[in-house]
Amino acid sequence: MPKTKYKFNPDSLSFDKIRLGARDVLLRTLAYIVGSVIIAVIYSFILALFIDSPKEKALKREIAQLTLQYELINREMGDLEKVLGHLQETDDNLYRTIFGAEPIPATLRQGGVGGVNRYTELEGYSNSKIVVGTTKRLDVIRKKLYIQSKSFDDLITLALEKEDMLRSIPAILPISTKDLTRIASGYGLRIHPVYKITKFHTGMDFTAPMGTEIYASGDGTISGVFSNRRGMGNYIIIDHGFGYTSTYAHLDSFAARNGQKVSRGDVIGYVGNTGLSVAPHLHYEIKLNDTNVDPVNYFFNDLTAAEYEMMIEVASKTGQSFD
Amino acid sequence: MPDHKYFLDLSDLQFKKVKLPWKSKLVRFSLWFLGSVAVTVIYSVLFNSAFGSPEERVLNQEIENLKLKYSLVGREIDYSVKLIDNIELSDENRYRPVLDMDTIPQTFRSMGFGGVNRYEELEGYENSEMMINFRKKVEDLRNRTTVQYESFKEIDEVKDEWKREMEHLPLISPVNVIYRLGDGMKFREKHPVFGTPRWHHGQDISTPYGTEVFATGSGKIIEAGWNGGFGNCIVIDHGYGYRSTYGHLSNIRVTRGMNVKRGDKLGLTGSSGTSSGPHLHYQIDLYGQHKNPLYFFNNDLTEDEYFEMIQTLSAQTKFK
Repeated sequence: MPKTKYKFNPDSLSFDKIRLGARDVLLRTLAYIVGSVIIAVIYSFILALFIDSPKEKALKREIAQLTLQYELINREMGDLEKVLGHLQETDDNLYRTIFGAEPIPATLRQGGVGGVNRYTELEGYSNSKIVVGTTKRLDVIRKKLYIQSKSFDDLITLALEKEDMLRSIPAILPISTKDLTRIASGYGLRIHPVYKITKFHTGMDFTAPMGTEIYASGDGTISGVFSNRRGMGNYIIIDHGFGYTSTYAHLDSFAARNGQKVSRGDVIGYVGNTGLSVAPHLHYEIKLNDTNVDPVNYFFNDLTAAEYEMMIEVASKTGQSFD
Repeated sequence: MPDHKYFLDLSDLQFKKVKLPWKSKLVRFSLWFLGSVAVTVIYSVLFNSAFGSPEERVLNQEIENLKLKYSLVGREIDYSVKLIDNIELSDENRYRPVLDMDTIPQTFRSMGFGGVNRYEELEGYENSEMMINFRKKVEDLRNRTTVQYESFKEIDEVKDEWKREMEHLPLISPVNVIYRLGDGMKFREKHPVFGTPRWHHGQDISTPYGTEVFATGSGKIIEAGWNGGFGNCIVIDHGYGYRSTYGHLSNIRVTRGMNVKRGDKLGLTGSSGTSSGPHLHYQIDLYGQHKNPLYFFNNDLTEDEYFEMIQTLSAQTKFK
């Protein structure tokens, strides 16, 4: 079939060649494109009604699995939370019976900062993140400030003293503890586990398994190693100079001799249950000029602000002591 | 403009109307149809690669929603993990050391499941990692919870036993702390009455005649009456192998078989039996072996505190 086509022109009664101008070509192309788009849309709709694209299939599969897993996890968490609540209660009850004191609230036990979500009321706004973040930081700063101001006076005096005084004064925990759950009883009036009356507790009790290493809390000289079947049992006294002595009681065994020079952090003995004690624990006392002082004020070296705050809270609980 | 198109037939040089046979029409239509499909495919590919299909977008939105749900439950999980962290610390650092129990190794608490891949069914998804992570976290939490549950059950029993033992051991002074301690546990060259060398197996406490004597720990009275040299004598069986003996009494307020608790009044001191003056002979035996009573109580109370203690103790209900 020949390519040239003709059109009958009734005006001139002749056959004219069909010629397409640039405009016509453009119009036609446009019409083609629009038409094809419309057709394409219609086709896609029809297709989509019956057939999923591979990607859609994958997505649907993904959604199905995600939903299933979500439901499983949710259900499991529901169960677990119940059990955990029960465990929490048991924990509190055990604490009450063993330490004779009200347990520390869970919020505080989580370190005070960054524990539970205390910023829920700030959520759900477009700038939530910034607001929550800022509030959190403010809270942390406020806590640090509080602690800081408390120990500031001490720091000033300390800063003025000599370096060796800083090394000598008890300033660390006598047993290794990353968390503060080991403090069983603080300084002050406590219920005696046997007498059941409130007695002045002249030191701090730390729970630790038998044989746990005990560290000298400051540089000094061992001024006494006593093996006793009564009272404080086996105990060690360190003379730190500057009027300070520290006592470590109810030891299982010793790791230092009388007269020996020790540095902060040296192992001097091991936790035990000797003397009059109802459970393995370390009884830690600090004396300044022969007067008992609260050891809680002498841990400034190895605690963060939050930890320190919690330590104060824990130590101030009127629970029962272990000797 | 008329619709008809013409072509020049070169064989007879005539213009003829263009007429298509039905076959050609079919072919044309098929071509057109195929062409349109091809165009559709090209368009879809272009459109989807640029914007994604509308349904895909809906599905993706749904996935985003699910992810949000996951992150919410994730927070719950994190909170629970913190909770169990604390409980475990409490267990390890507080209860087990106090009760002198072995600690549970961390590896046991948080048991891993090596070997077989347990999460095969979760693999091959875009969010596989997230799902596997969640599953692992929850399973770890479940293990720790289970271990903790068992641990607390054990601790609870030991704790009861610990409390019981603490109530039963003879851990206080049998008489007011102000009285002077007499002879302790030692070999006496000269017995005050017989005048001959003899072992003394207890602690003497010099008291005025008629001073109150209190039970030093809970237990059962297994002897209450005359016992030769000890005169009027009371023996308490505290359990755990411990017995305490109170000798030379002038008055006995308890009877054999009675259960007493720490701080209960037993009788009054005197000088019955072989005694040279009013005093209390206080003796502690562990499985029949004599123990130094001084190792069992402290002299760290004032008189007032002693009576406050006796009052508090007798007001308490007995520990079963």
